[in-house]
Amino acid sequence: MTVNTGRILRVNLSSGRIATESVPRKVAEDFVGGRGYGIRYLYDELAPGVEPLGEANKLLMIAGPLAGNTAQAVSRWMTCTKSPQTGAWARSVCGADFGAWLKFAGYEVIIVEGRAGKPVYLHLTPDGCQIQDAGQLWGKDTRVTQSWLAERHGKNTRTACIGPGGENLVKYAAVVSDRRTAGRCGTGTVMGSKNLKAVAVTAARRLTLADPDAYDKLARAQVSTILNNPGFKHHKEWGTTTTQDLTNSIGIYPVRNFRYGQQEGYQQITGAEYRKLRTGDIGCYSCAARCGKVHTVKTGPYAGAHSEGPEYESIWAFTGTVESLSREASIAADQLCDDMGLDTISSGSTIGFAYECYEKGLLKKSDLDGLELKYGDPAPMVKLIKKIAMREGIGDLLAEGAMRAAEKMGGGAEAYAIHVKGLELPAYEPRGAKSQGYNYATANIGASHCYGYAPQEIFGAIMPRPVDRFSEENPDIVIFNQDGTAWHETGIACAFSSGWGWMDIFGKLVAAARGIDKLADGDYLGKVGERMWNLERAFNVREGFTRQQDYLPKRMRTEPLHTREAPGEGQMVSHHDEFLDKYYQLRGWTKEGIPTGKKLKELGLDSVVKDMATKRK
Amino acid sequence: MTVKINIPPFFQHLTGSVKIFEAGGSTVGECLNELVRQYPEIKSKLFTRNGRLLKGLNVFINGESAYPGELARPVRDGDKLHITYVMVGG
Repeated sequence: MTVNTGRILRVNLSSGRIATESVPRKVAEDFVGGRGYGIRYLYDELAPGVEPLGEANKLLMIAGPLAGNTAQAVSRWMTCTKSPQTGAWARSVCGADFGAWLKFAGYEVIIVEGRAGKPVYLHLTPDGCQIQDAGQLWGKDTRVTQSWLAERHGKNTRTACIGPGGENLVKYAAVVSDRRTAGRCGTGTVMGSKNLKAVAVTAARRLTLADPDAYDKLARAQVSTILNNPGFKHHKEWGTTTTQDLTNSIGIYPVRNFRYGQQEGYQQITGAEYRKLRTGDIGCYSCAARCGKVHTVKTGPYAGAHSEGPEYESIWAFTGTVESLSREASIAADQLCDDMGLDTISSGSTIGFAYECYEKGLLKKSDLDGLELKYGDPAPMVKLIKKIAMREGIGDLLAEGAMRAAEKMGGGAEAYAIHVKGLELPAYEPRGAKSQGYNYATANIGASHCYGYAPQEIFGAIMPRPVDRFSEENPDIVIFNQDGTAWHETGIACAFSSGWGWMDIFGKLVAAARGIDKLADGDYLGKVGERMWNLERAFNVREGFTRQQDYLPKRMRTEPLHTREAPGEGQMVSHHDEFLDKYYQLRGWTKEGIPTGKKLKELGLDSVVKDMATKRK
Repeated sequence: MTVKINIPPFFQHLTGSVKIFEAGGSTVGECLNELVRQYPEIKSKLFTRNGRLLKGLNVFINGESAYPGELARPVRDGDKLHITYVMVGG
């Protein structure tokens, strides 16, 4: 049997040098692929202290080992870099077809280095890569950009690109492919800093498997399992558009910049209400779920708005943050973010911060280009998105994200910037779902719901055990969720699919794709997840991160949550220090959150021991 | 005969924060109906008007999914039931 570790395309935009290389077998065994490859290469190749938007930073675009084949829900792809929002390690995951196309062209990883002297795009085919002029695309939105490239290079072309948000270095710019986004952490900003407008791949379908027969049998079993799973059926019907029904009912839907856990009148923004505006379904390559629910506004001030989405997080980002009940405005805002290439979560959360600053008198109408940010009125929110993307007026300040905007404003605004490590919080209130909250606090990329999601608290999941969502004594659960997410992302398996009953096949599929038997072992993959987590932590420690950056915002620790009619009234995060002590202990880290030499050696990260020893002194 | 029903976090506000309810039925459906008799507000959150388990919910018996045909599944003394949402994430 052959071994297929994946091929890397390395492009230096400063020199124009293009090269290919294979991933060494040792790296494939230790890190498997996907996010594992991302942290291994970035840790090794980025010098500490590199400026995120400088020439020396690198941007990785990675497809998983399973992408582009018949198995379901594994053709996603991700961007990895050092984040301009957090200064920490970053990964952001995206759907659509681009990951499969990258594999069809013969690549698993693109490493973009340097900075082009003028706007360019990369055109990849199975014959190689060319750096092309993108002058006429600069300034264009993501829809126009993708249409132009498809017209130029033919229908077998798929594109990942930035919009004006990335070009203008909005700190939370996204990379967009079709209508899906690698949204979080500003990876689109890094792409913009390199004058890289797009990566277009023209290729026809071809299989890239070490053991196609074994893979085929496993993929058939996976498909059969998934199609009969109730979670899959629910996801196919609704996507994530019903999650707000649940989170409102249990008091963890953040409202008014994380002051309330339930939105008054939320019955107007339930999944059933959004369904009335649904006009289609869209899915990723080789996924029968087609969970992207398309919505179209036909009447009223937002008539004509049309978006694949909003899904749960974006519904929240454009309702709860500003206490709006307008589904139509949320659809318009979602479309605008996708067109402009902005992360919806950070956009909505930063705008929610601005609304509170207006309420508190820290931002006045004259500061806001004449806008009045009154709760319940979504019109200013929609206008602000475009201003942010173009860095126009007040948009220039808000384009920095909540943390930096607050620092520039001063006057106590820092209290209203709801973030961890500079990354704005997503749509689950930490005071009502505390393991979810402590994942935000300790996640290596900042406050991400996708980096260790706690289904035990939110959906009643029973693996590895049921938990009390108000308890702060579950560091083992937080670690279970974090490391589990890490090894799922070696194959860039869709996070939603992890509940569809097939994860016991995952390792076997990866082993068949790679031709490396040890990857079939679930316990081994668990160790890989822990290895990845520790290397990411080491990356951050090397950048100067300490325990100090592992805290939830002060609001969660000092102000009781108000939940209106839902349970959890008065909840606070009260035992943060005790939690971190226990979490670090279970992780095998020092009290400052630095991985110990013993733990690093146990994980085979001997090359990192010296770096961490320096930091422990 | 006693079957323990673990009340999930999203229903505990309907049970006065009770986390475990002991029922005495011989099927999943009988046990859940006993839960409803004790906490009537939970009925519309568990069942359709036709008495079927609502879409989006699943029941586990001792950690094993009871899908499909959840309500007719037999239970034995000492079994543990968990009610969960089938979706993951958002």
